[in-house]
Amino acid sequence: MLKSAFAGLSRVANFLAISTNTLGTLVVLALVMVLNVDVIARGLFNAPLKGTYEMVQFSVVLIVFLQLPDVVRVDRLTRSDGFLSVIGNRRPGVAANMRRIINAVSAIFMGLIAYITFPEFLHMWDTNDYFGVPGLFTLPWWPVKLVITVGTALSCLIFVLKVVSAQDRPALVRTPEHDEPRT
Amino acid sequence: QETVSAVVIDGYPDRAMWVKEFTNFFIPQMDAKLAEAGNYKMGWQENYGGSIVKPKGVLEGVQLGLGDIGIVTTIFHSSKLPSQGISGSTPFVASDARAVAKAVDEIAREFPAMNNEFAAQNQVYLATGVVLDTYQVFCSSEVSSIADLEGKKIAGAGLNLRYLEGIKDAAGVRGGLTDFYNMVQTGLVDCAMLWPEAASTFKIAEVAPYMLKVDLGAVNSKTITVNADYWAKLPDEVKEALQAVAIEYRDHVAGIAMDRAEASRNTYVEQGGTIIEVSDEDRAAWANAMPNVAQEWAAVLNDRGEAGTEMLAAYLGKLSDAGYDGVRDWTAE
Amino acid sequence: MTPIEIGLISVVAIVFLIYSGVYIPVALGVVSFVSIWLMRDNFTLALNLLKVAVGDSAMEYSFATIPLFTFMGLIVSKAGLGRDIYEVMTMRFRKVKGGIGMATVGANAVFAAVTGSSIASASVFTKVSVPQMIAQDYNPRFAVGVVAGSSVLGMIIPPSAMLIIYSFVAEQSVGDMFLAGVIPGIMLAIAYVGAIWVMGRFTPNFVGGRVVEDTEWMSKREVASKTLPTLGLITIVLGGIYTGWLTAVEAGAAGALVALLIALARRTMSARTFWDALLETGHITAAILFLITAASIYSRMLGLAGLPNQLQDILAGNAASFWTIMLLYVLLMLFLGTLLDTASIILIVVPLFLPLAEALDMSLIWFGIITVVGAEIGLLTPPLGISCFVIKSTINDDRISLKDVFMGALPFAFVMLIVLFILIEFPILSLALI
Ligand code: NA
Ligand code: NA
Repeated sequence: MLKSAFAGLSRVANFLAISTNTLGTLVVLALVMVLNVDVIARGLFNAPLKGTYEMVQFSVVLIVFLQLPDVVRVDRLTRSDGFLSVIGNRRPGVAANMRRIINAVSAIFMGLIAYITFPEFLHMWDTNDYFGVPGLFTLPWWPVKLVITVGTALSCLIFVLKVVSAQDRPALVRTPEHDEPRT
Repeated sequence: QETVSAVVIDGYPDRAMWVKEFTNFFIPQMDAKLAEAGNYKMGWQENYGGSIVKPKGVLEGVQLGLGDIGIVTTIFHSSKLPSQGISGSTPFVASDARAVAKAVDEIAREFPAMNNEFAAQNQVYLATGVVLDTYQVFCSSEVSSIADLEGKKIAGAGLNLRYLEGIKDAAGVRGGLTDFYNMVQTGLVDCAMLWPEAASTFKIAEVAPYMLKVDLGAVNSKTITVNADYWAKLPDEVKEALQAVAIEYRDHVAGIAMDRAEASRNTYVEQGGTIIEVSDEDRAAWANAMPNVAQEWAAVLNDRGEAGTEMLAAYLGKLSDAGYDGVRDWTAE
Repeated sequence: MTPIEIGLISVVAIVFLIYSGVYIPVALGVVSFVSIWLMRDNFTLALNLLKVAVGDSAMEYSFATIPLFTFMGLIVSKAGLGRDIYEVMTMRFRKVKGGIGMATVGANAVFAAVTGSSIASASVFTKVSVPQMIAQDYNPRFAVGVVAGSSVLGMIIPPSAMLIIYSFVAEQSVGDMFLAGVIPGIMLAIAYVGAIWVMGRFTPNFVGGRVVEDTEWMSKREVASKTLPTLGLITIVLGGIYTGWLTAVEAGAAGALVALLIALARRTMSARTFWDALLETGHITAAILFLITAASIYSRMLGLAGLPNQLQDILAGNAASFWTIMLLYVLLMLFLGTLLDTASIILIVVPLFLPLAEALDMSLIWFGIITVVGAEIGLLTPPLGISCFVIKSTINDDRISLKDVFMGALPFAFVMLIVLFILIEFPILSLALI
C-alpha cells in the first residue's frame, strides 16, 4: 500500500519534472530564435525588436528553474562524488546513509526557496508589477516568481523521494551529452 | 553617549561619484551634526559594489532590512516607483542637476505619492539625487541639426528611447553604457544618447565626434531611503540630522554633477569633438513630435489615486520659477 | 563569535561539505544561510538575503551566453567539426616525432574556438585521436595525456563557460573576457607543442610512436570543406564580438544558428539529436546557473562578514608583495583543484580575493585569466580531474587505467603552471586585444 503510493508519487514527480524540462527546452529554442531575429532585423531592416533585452533576461530564469527539477532527477546537480564513491566501495551502508542526509539537506534548501518565493508570486500577481520600460516594452514579474516557486518546490519533492529510495547512483562524471547518439 | 549603528548599502562600487560622496560628505556631515549635541554617535558599516546587493537590488535590500540606509537607483523600478519618472517624463525642460534635484525633492515633500510608494516598500524617503546634467546626442558622422537624425539608428537606454519617437524613422537601439563606444565605432548605430561626463570617460569623441547639444534635460535617478522598521526605532535627534544632511547631500551631489559636466564638455572638445548648438525652435519641433510622455506619466499616477496632474503642474512650475521653461508645455493635453 | 570568525569557519565548512559529496550549490547556499543567521542573530534576515539572491541573481542578460554557447558546442561536436579539423592537422604534422600529439593540440585549439567546454573537447578528441595514436604505437599514457592536456584549451580559448562565470562574479564584460582569453590560449597551445617536441627529443619512450609512410594527401577541396565551416563559425563569433557588431549574447545566438545550419547541410542532425542537444543545453545551463545563484548567496555572506576586507587588511598590514599574494592565490586554487570542478573554484575564490585585487589596482580582466587558467589545472590533477574522467569514461578500454590518464596528463599540468606564471608576470599577454 505504502509502496504503491510511493511509486505513484515518484511517477507523478518524474512526469512533472520531464514536463517542465520540455517547457524549459522550448525556451532555449525561443531564445536562439528571438536573438537571431533581432540581429537580422536590426542589421538588415534598421528595425530592432523591442524588448529583446527583457525577453532574454526572462528566458534565462525560465530555463534555469524549469530545468532544475529534471537536473535533480537525473542527479546532475554539480557535486564532487569522489569521496562518496570510495566510501561506497568499502562501506556501502555508510555511503547510502550519507546520501540520504545530503538529499534531505538539499530538500530543505529547495523547500526554503520555494517557501520564500511563493508569497512574492502572490504579491506580484496582486500588484501587477512589471519590469522593462513603460511605453516601450514590459513583462510582468509574476511568471518569474511562479516558475522559481514551482521549480524549487518540485526539486524539493524529488529530493524527498530520493531520501526515501536512496537510489541515486555514484558516478565520477556524467556527460550524456557526449555519448553516442541514441538510435 | 549612545552609538546608533547604520548599515549603508548600494550595489554600485565605491568609485561611483554618489557613493564616494556618501562616504566623504554624508557620513562626516552626519557625524559632525551629532557631535554638536554629543548625545549620539553613529556606527557606520558601508557595503557597496555588490557585496550585499546589486544595483537593482537596493530597493529590495532596504525593504528587507539587509541595509538600514540605501541609495536606491529609482530608474530600475518604474513599476514600483512610478512617480520617480517625473523628470524623465518631462524632457527638454531643465539641464541643471541642482534645479531638478531641488524641484523633485520638494514634490516628494509636498505630495504624498513618492513617500507612499517607498512606504509600500517598507522604507522612508530621505532625499533625491541627480547625478547627471543632461543627455545629449553623439553622432559618428557630421550632423548640423536635429533633422539630420531622421532615419538614423540611435543607441539609448530606458525612457530616453521613447524620446526618439519624435524623430522620423529613427530606430532606438538599446545598449549598456559600456557598449556605446563599440556600437558607434562599428556602425551598429549612428548616434548614441548619453551625458557628457560619460562621453568623456568612455572617450566617445574618438568615434562620435559630433555632439548635438539637444539638452534633453537632467534626470533624477537616485533616492536615499531608510528602512521603515529601523527608522521607527531611531531617536528623533538622529532622524532630524539624517533629514537635514540628506538635503545637503542632494545639493552637494547635484553641484558636483554640474561641475563635472562642464569639465567633461571641455574634455570632449579637447579629445577632438565638436559641439553643435541647436536652436530652441528645433528642440521644440522634436518635443512636439513626441508623444506626451508627461501626460502618460500623470495618468498612471492618477489611476493609482495620486495627484499626478497636480504634481506635474507643480513640478514644472517650480522649474519655471527657477528660470527653466521647457520648449513644450507638457501640462497641455 | 565575531562575524569574521563565522565567515572563516563557513568557508572551511563549505570546502569540507563539498569534499564529502554534498551538492555544491546546496553546500554554498545552506552554509551561507546558516552563517548569516548566526552572524546577525536574525533568521528572517537570512531568509530575506536568500530571497534577494535567488530573485536577482538569475535575471541577468549576459547569462544567456551559457545556454547559447553550450548549444552551439553540442551541435558542432555532433556535426563532426572536431574530427575534420583533426584530420587536416594530422596531415600537416605526420612526419614529426609526436606529430599526431601536436596535431591533437592544434586541432583542440581550433575546436576550442567553437565550443565552450573542456568536456566537449576531451570527449571528441578521445574518440578521434587516441585510437589513431595507439594504432601508430604511441605510448597510451602519452596519447591520453595529450588529449587531457589540450582539452583544457576548450575553456581558455573563447567562447568559454568559465570566462563567462568569472565575468559575472567580477562584473566584467563577457566580450572583454573572451578577447582576453585568445592570446593566453594560443600561448598554451604553443607551449604544449613545444613540450611535445622536447619530450619526443629527450624522453622518446614516454612518447612512443613510429613514423608512418606518407599516405594520401587531401585535395584542396577536401581541406576546404573540412576547415571552412569551423573558420566561418570562428569568424562570426569572435569576429562579431571583436568588432562590436554583436554582443557576446548575440554572438552565441548567431553561432548556434550557423552551427545548426552547418549540421543540417551535412545531414548530421536528426530531429532526435536536435532535441537531445536542446535538452542537454537546458540541463547544463540549469546546473551552472543554479551554482552561480548559490555562489552569489555565499559572496553576499562574505560581504556581510567583512571577510574580503579583512583579508585585504591582513595582507596589506604584512606588506605582502605582489608575488606572495599571487603564489598564495595559485596554491589555494591548486589545492581546491584536487577535488573541485573549475566553476566551483572560481565561484569560491574570486569573491574572497576580488576586493584585494581591486585594492591593489590589478586589472580585473587579467586577474580573471589567471583565475581561469589556475582553476583549470584542477581538470588534470588527481583525485578528481574532470577532463581525465571524461577521457577514461569515453575511451572504455580496460588496458588504460585512470592512473594512466592522470600520469599522462601530469606533464601538461606542469606546462600549464609555467604558462600561468608567465601570464602573471606579463599582464599585457591577457590585455593586448582589449
Ligand atoms: Na572555447
Ligand atoms: Na583535480
